Amino acid sequence: MREAITVKNLSYKYPDGTKALENVNMEVQEGERIVIVGPNGAGKTTFMLHLNGTLHGTEGQIEIFGKSVDKMKRAEIVKEVGMVFQDPDDQLFMPTLFDDIAFGPINLGLKEDEVRERVAKAISSLGLSGFEDRAPHHLSFGEKKKASLAAVMAMEPRILVLDEPTANLDPYSRTELIGILNDLNEREGITMVIATHDVNAIPELADRIYALNRTIIETGTPREIFSNGELLEHNKLDVPDVFKLFEVLRCFGFGCEKLPLSLDDAVSGITKVIETEGGHIHLHIHEHTHTEVRKWKDKYGHH
Amino acid sequence: MVNYPEIDRYSALDSPMHRFDPRAKIIAFLILIFAVVLLPDLKLAFIGFIGAVLFLIASKLPLRFALQHIKWVFLFVVPFIVIMPFTVDGTEIFSFYGLTMTYEGLEYGILVAVRAISAVILVLPMIATTRFDITIKALDRLKMPNMLVQMFMFTYRYIFVFVVEFQRTWRAMVARGFKLKTSLYALKTIGKALGMLFVRSYERGDRVYQALRSRGYTGSPRTLVEFQMHASDYIWAILIIGFAVSLYVIPFAGVS
Repeated sequence: MREAITVKNLSYKYPDGTKALENVNMEVQEGERIVIVGPNGAGKTTFMLHLNGTLHGTEGQIEIFGKSVDKMKRAEIVKEVGMVFQDPDDQLFMPTLFDDIAFGPINLGLKEDEVRERVAKAISSLGLSGFEDRAPHHLSFGEKKKASLAAVMAMEPRILVLDEPTANLDPYSRTELIGILNDLNEREGITMVIATHDVNAIPELADRIYALNRTIIETGTPREIFSNGELLEHNKLDVPDVFKLFEVLRCFGFGCEKLPLSLDDAVSGITKVIETEGGHIHLHIHEHTHTEVRKWKDKYGHH
Repeated sequence: MVNYPEIDRYSALDSPMHRFDPRAKIIAFLILIFAVVLLPDLKLAFIGFIGAVLFLIASKLPLRFALQHIKWVFLFVVPFIVIMPFTVDGTEIFSFYGLTMTYEGLEYGILVAVRAISAVILVLPMIATTRFDITIKALDRLKMPNMLVQMFMFTYRYIFVFVVEFQRTWRAMVARGFKLKTSLYALKTIGKALGMLFVRSYERGDRVYQALRSRGYTGSPRTLVEFQMHASDYIWAILIIGFAVSLYVIPFAGVS
């Protein structure tokens, strides 16, 4: 496996001198799905804008497939790193959906029939057929979000950087988008860097998590990060609901070996416990149950 | 649903004007508009006006939609009809406490109004019968400077975003008890709300620029569009330009 992204000692100061990033280090393998978590104002968006050379660090360097971003030409970076912004209204700047999706491929200098081919492919793979001539203000938020992704995918980047892809989506569109992203990763081996507050989506979206708060605080698999109570508390991070629920069940004596991170995990976890305990699960309330539940509540600040 | 101020709301209808090639349409109507606006004679201006109305009818645009747009121009030219008769010297119609209304003045006032209204009527079959993005692309193909084309394009795209944004601000104000009155306080508040809209637009501009750069924007975006001139396009173009020319030939032919 190759290294898709290498970030070394990256620091960034805003023009007014405020430090936004300090000594950030990151290594992403090709085909890996990375989620960046961190509280509001932690520098997630600022960091991601460095990955395609929109912002340049005051110190440190970034390599994309072994090449330094500072030395790459604009067209070269843009071809490798696709960026999906949080607000689709910032991203869809052309009068119609077709023009918008064609915008990137045209800038890559592709021939007209090739551009049309790419637009058609992006439109059909995101289920936007029939919307080609629509103006962005006639699309719903979910459609706009998919359109922004289509516009970036039409450039066929090997790395996809997404800022809050699931924010403000209705539950159906959210699930759909997560499916689309995982599909792109599986089928086309696209490397992904995703910033999100959507903790329930993380187990489905992340191979590895980076916790960022101006600098990288911790990295690890979702399980490692979500099990690190101290880290979560100090950085105002949250864990998936399923994980929390099974922590509660544990207080009531449910004896699962590993706390599930997703509903699928939960199903297999419960099945396993039932099988080992002879066909049923056993919960109880003892003296210690109450203290344990209270401790659990304190941990997440639910008073 | 937001009520957007869309000039191309009825661009999906079907009429000879809708089928007319956008490039030829723009050129032909622009020539006619200039011809009508520069007419020196009231009778000719009326002929121009009738022609404009006929083209509007040919475009099948709903009358209400058309009047909505003409209304504003009408308000703008009314003062000419009122003021001109009293300020131009000539044959007296009547005198009123030293104010003299002249025939020449009245004629001039009406001439200004008829020309202006005819021009606006002609803008409708020109612009409102084509999707606006296609009009922009047609202007691009007609070699309009790319910088202007981009300004049109981004303005057209973001005007709707700003409409929604201001509407949201407005609702938030009303929801907290703001009432529109002619008081200094109300004006100040609206001023501040508009100020916020500017600040937000500025910030959005920054983000849009980042998004543009992220997709390889280098300053002169191209679009893909296919235009093709058919026989009917030539016929309509000749008809419209011919009408414009005839407005100037008629006086010499001795008809007037």
